[in-house]
Amino acid sequence: MIAIPFAALIIGFLAVYVLLPPVPPRWADYVAIAIIAGLDAFVGAARNWLERSFDEAIFISGFFVNMALAALLAFFGDKLGVDLYLAVVVALGIRIFSNLGRTRALLVSARLEARRARVPAPSD
Amino acid sequence: MGLGPGARRWVMPLTVVCIVLGGMLGIQVRSQEERGEMRVGRQTSALVAMLTRNQAQLEQQGAEIERLRAQLAQYEEEAARERGLVRELQASRILLGTVAVTGPGIELEVADSTMRASAGAGGEDLFVVHDLQLLQITNELWAASAEAIALNGQRLTMGSAIICSARLIEVNGVAIASPFVFHAVGDRDKLVSALNIRGGVLDGLRLLEFPVKLTPKEEMTIPPIAVAPKHTYAQPVERETKQ
Repeated sequence: MIAIPFAALIIGFLAVYVLLPPVPPRWADYVAIAIIAGLDAFVGAARNWLERSFDEAIFISGFFVNMALAALLAFFGDKLGVDLYLAVVVALGIRIFSNLGRTRALLVSARLEARRARVPAPSD
Repeated sequence: MGLGPGARRWVMPLTVVCIVLGGMLGIQVRSQEERGEMRVGRQTSALVAMLTRNQAQLEQQGAEIERLRAQLAQYEEEAARERGLVRELQASRILLGTVAVTGPGIELEVADSTMRASAGAGGEDLFVVHDLQLLQITNELWAASAEAIALNGQRLTMGSAIICSARLIEVNGVAIASPFVFHAVGDRDKLVSALNIRGGVLDGLRLLEFPVKLTPKEEMTIPPIAVAPKHTYAQPVERETKQ
């Protein structure tokens, strides 16, 4: 089941890499920031899944809207001459990192739960 | 996680998201590659080709100038000998820098500072030799009555500009880089003490650990300027003849 999205990732990458002409260099920054926003939505979804509060509507809308917003914010920053680009990168970076940390904690605690259920705790 | 309806819920959205994310990664990787190629590959090779072509041309023309100048000198000498002007002509040529000269003098070598490697960001400018320092050294040499000066083989005469051009320094229109070697013909003691004056240029350079090597020489040869200075606007003032 996990193979389908994974294959989709590779197909999407190859399709664009091989078929599309390179975008103008001015856009590269916006695409980069959109990728970071997408990554953030991805990690957030992983965390929600482990917390059993995952919702596909929130995931999909969050993914696309956040991507667009992040790129838009960076674009406005450029127009205003303010480095909003950095603000977006920092904010998203922190969020990705904290979500990854939370995900790890959930995974570890789930594994510990499972072990405790299997091996009865030694009585002292 | 099993394959119940709960598990299937995330497959569709995840697939859509993965296609988009993969596509964007594709765009980015593609454009970054293109950018890198453009910046390094294309530009550098074109510039190197242009540089080598120009250098070959320059050398060729230099040889031509040398030949013509020898011819000219011959004619001038023939013409001047009759009027007893050879000595004056020779003196003018030396001062104008159109003939190679030899004599005692000093050799001064200055290179970028060794402190550069350990300098923090932004401080690099402090540890490279700038056009201004070369100008100060030249000025000091002229002030100490140097009769002929060359910087990295470029004769300095009237009209020789030392200017900053990007990361290099241009003298007589020729780009040079560190280490910078001055040759100056003149009174050795005078030149050495003028350069070593307390609070002078070399003092400042040594303070920042620029390698500075100053050696008096018994004899040295200084090449002529490649292209003699021309005058278009200046005319001599006619001397008023008093009756």
